[in-house]
Amino acid sequence: MPENSTASVERRSLRAKPFSKADRRFYKTATVAANSSIVLVSLIFVFLMWRSWPAFESQGIDYIFGSTWDNSPENFVLQIGPMLWGSILVSTVGVLLAVPMAISIAYFIVFMANKRFGKIATVMIDLLAALPSVVLGLWGLLVFSPVAAGWAEMLNEYLGFIPIFQNTSGNFLRSPFIASWVVAVMIVPIIASVTREIFSQLDRELINASLALGAGRWSTFRRVILPTSSGGIVGGVLLGLGRALGETVAIYFVLNLVFDINWFGVLEDKGGSVASMILSKFGEAGQDEVAGLMAAGVVLFVVTLFVNMIASYIVSKAQPWRK
Amino acid sequence: MEKVIAMASDPSPVARPKNAQPWKQVSLSGVATIVLASTLPIAIGLFAMLLGLKFELALLLVFLPTQLVLGVIAGRKFSGRRGQADAILQVFVVFFAMTVLVLLVSVVWSVVERGSAAISWQFITQNNVYISGSTSLEYGGLGHAIIGTLLIVALSTIVTVPLGIATAIYLTETRGRTRSTIRTLIQALSGLPSVVAGLFIYAMFIASGLTQYVGWAGSLALIPLMLPTVTRVAEESLLLVPQELRNGALALGSSAWRAFYLVTMPAAKSGLITAVLLGIARIIGETAPLLITTFAANNTNYNPFNGSISTLPTYLYTFIASNFDTAVQRAWGAALVILILVAILFVAARLLTRQKTAKKAGK
Repeated sequence: MPENSTASVERRSLRAKPFSKADRRFYKTATVAANSSIVLVSLIFVFLMWRSWPAFESQGIDYIFGSTWDNSPENFVLQIGPMLWGSILVSTVGVLLAVPMAISIAYFIVFMANKRFGKIATVMIDLLAALPSVVLGLWGLLVFSPVAAGWAEMLNEYLGFIPIFQNTSGNFLRSPFIASWVVAVMIVPIIASVTREIFSQLDRELINASLALGAGRWSTFRRVILPTSSGGIVGGVLLGLGRALGETVAIYFVLNLVFDINWFGVLEDKGGSVASMILSKFGEAGQDEVAGLMAAGVVLFVVTLFVNMIASYIVSKAQPWRK
Repeated sequence: MEKVIAMASDPSPVARPKNAQPWKQVSLSGVATIVLASTLPIAIGLFAMLLGLKFELALLLVFLPTQLVLGVIAGRKFSGRRGQADAILQVFVVFFAMTVLVLLVSVVWSVVERGSAAISWQFITQNNVYISGSTSLEYGGLGHAIIGTLLIVALSTIVTVPLGIATAIYLTETRGRTRSTIRTLIQALSGLPSVVAGLFIYAMFIASGLTQYVGWAGSLALIPLMLPTVTRVAEESLLLVPQELRNGALALGSSAWRAFYLVTMPAAKSGLITAVLLGIARIIGETAPLLITTFAANNTNYNPFNGSISTLPTYLYTFIASNFDTAVQRAWGAALVILILVAILFVAARLLTRQKTAKKAGK
C-alpha cells in the first residue's frame, strides 16, 4: 500500500445527485410541496397574530386570566379566562370518561371478541371517528342531553354533598357534564382506533409467552400489554385531548357559555369553551371584537399545536414499526 | 405435513374428536358456575328494576356489583387468586366496551331513524328559497346544499390532493433534510381546530377586504384540515410498497421519476385513492370554518367564485336550534345525508384497502 496516496488524493464526498431533468423537477416539486406546510403553519400564525394584535395590546395579560367580556364602546373589556378554563375542564373530564371506554373497547376487539364481531366493531369505530362533529352535536342536543340530564340529576341527588356535584340552579341541561360526555363520545373512536392498532401490532409471541408462563389475563395486561403499548396510548389520548380542546360546534349546542368562571361545578348549567365562544360571538362582532376573537383563535391554536406536537412525538416513538 | 406422514404410516389411527381439548377441564359444577355468574346478575338487575329502581341505577348499583362478585367467585373456583383479577378485568372491559357500543349505535340509529323520515326526492333536490323553520316538509330541501358541498369540497380536493401526495412523496421517496420536521408538523396540523382554520382565511382575505363571504374562501379554509389526512394515509400506503420494487426499477436504469411513476405509484394506487377518499370524508362535515368564510345561502349557487353558498353542515346548523318540529326534521335529514356521504366514502376506502391486503395474502 503506497504511503501517501490518501494525502495527495482529495477525499470525495459520496453524494448521488439527480442527473436527469425530470428527476430534478420531481424532487423539486416534492420538496416545495412538503415545505409549503411549514409556510402554511407560519402563515396561519402570522395572519392570526397580525389581526389579533390590537386585542392583545389593549387587554394585556388579563386577556387570558380575566373573566369579563363587554363589547360596549364605553367599557370595552375582552377577557377569555372562563372560556379557557371551561375548555380545559370539559376536555379533561371528557378525556377521563373516554380513556377507560376506549382502552376497554380496543382490548375487547383485539383480545376478547371473536373475529367477526371484532371486525364489525372496528368498522363502526373507524366510521364514527370520521363522523362530523355537527352530527354529534345534533345527537347530543336532541337525543343525549335529556338522558344525561337525568344522570346528572341522580348524581346530584345521591352525591350532592360532594362540592363538584352541587347544582344551584336546578337546571341540569347545558352543563359541562353533558358537554364532556358528548366530547367523550367524539374522542372515544379516535383514542380507540389508535389503541386498537397498537394492540393488534403487539408481538404475539410476547403475549403467548406470558400466558405460557402461567399469567392470567390481568397480569398479562398489566405486565406485558400495558408497558409495551403505554406510549402509544398516551399519544392517542393526547390526540383526543387536542381534538376535544378544538371542538366547536358540538359543544356550542350542548353547553351554556357564561362569562363567569365555573371552577369545578360540572353539573352547573354554565361553562365555557374557547372554540364555541368564537363561533357564538362571530356573527355580530364589530371590528375590535373580531380582533379579540382572533386572539382567542391564537390561544387555541398555540395550545392545540403544543398538545399535538407532544402527542405525535410520543406516538411516533411508541410505534417503531412505522419507520 | 406431520399429520399426513402419521396417517400414511399408521393405517388405523385412534380418531380424536375434532374439537377435543384434552388440556381443558370440563366439570359440571364449572359449567353451572359460569351459567350462574352470567345470568344471575341480569336476573337480579331486572328484579331491582321491577321493584322500581331506575335503569341506570339498577345497572350501576345492582347489576355491576353482583356481576363482579359472582365473576370473582367463578374465577377463584377455576384458577385461584389469578382468576379473581382476570374476572374483574373481564367484567369491566365488557361493561365499558358495551357502553361505548351502545352510545355509538345510538348516534347512528337516531340519525338513520329520524333522518329517514325527512328524506324524500324533493327534499334532496329542491333548494331553500322562501323556506322558514315552520314551512312544512313538503316544500324545499337541501339540493342547493348538496351542490354547494360538492363544489366546495371538490375545489379544496383539487388543491389539497396534489399537495398532500407530493408531501407524502417527499417524506417517503427523498432523503430531504426537513423530513422529520414536516412529519411532526403534519401530525400537529391534524389537530388544528377547524374554527381556527376558518379564522385564518377570514383574517387573510375577508378582514383584509379582498372579498366578501364566498365559496372559494371556504375551500381554502378546508385545505389545512384535509392536508394532514391525505398526507398521512398516502405516506403510509407508499411505505407499504416494498423497497425491492424501487431498487429493481432503479437498477434497471430508470430515473427516480420514472421509477416512481411506473412502479411505485401503480403499486400504491389503491392506497393513494384511499387517502383522497378519507381526506374528503374528513372535511365533508366541517361546519365552523364554512360559517366564518362562506356563510349560508338559500338559493342554488353553482359558482363558488361568486357569492355565499350553502353547504350541508351549514344547512344543518341553521335549522338545528329552531323550535319548530319541521326545522328539526330538516336538520336530521341533513345529518342523514352527511352520514350517508361519509359512509359511502368510508366503505369505498375500505373496499380498496381490503382488495389490496387480500391480494397480498393471496400471493
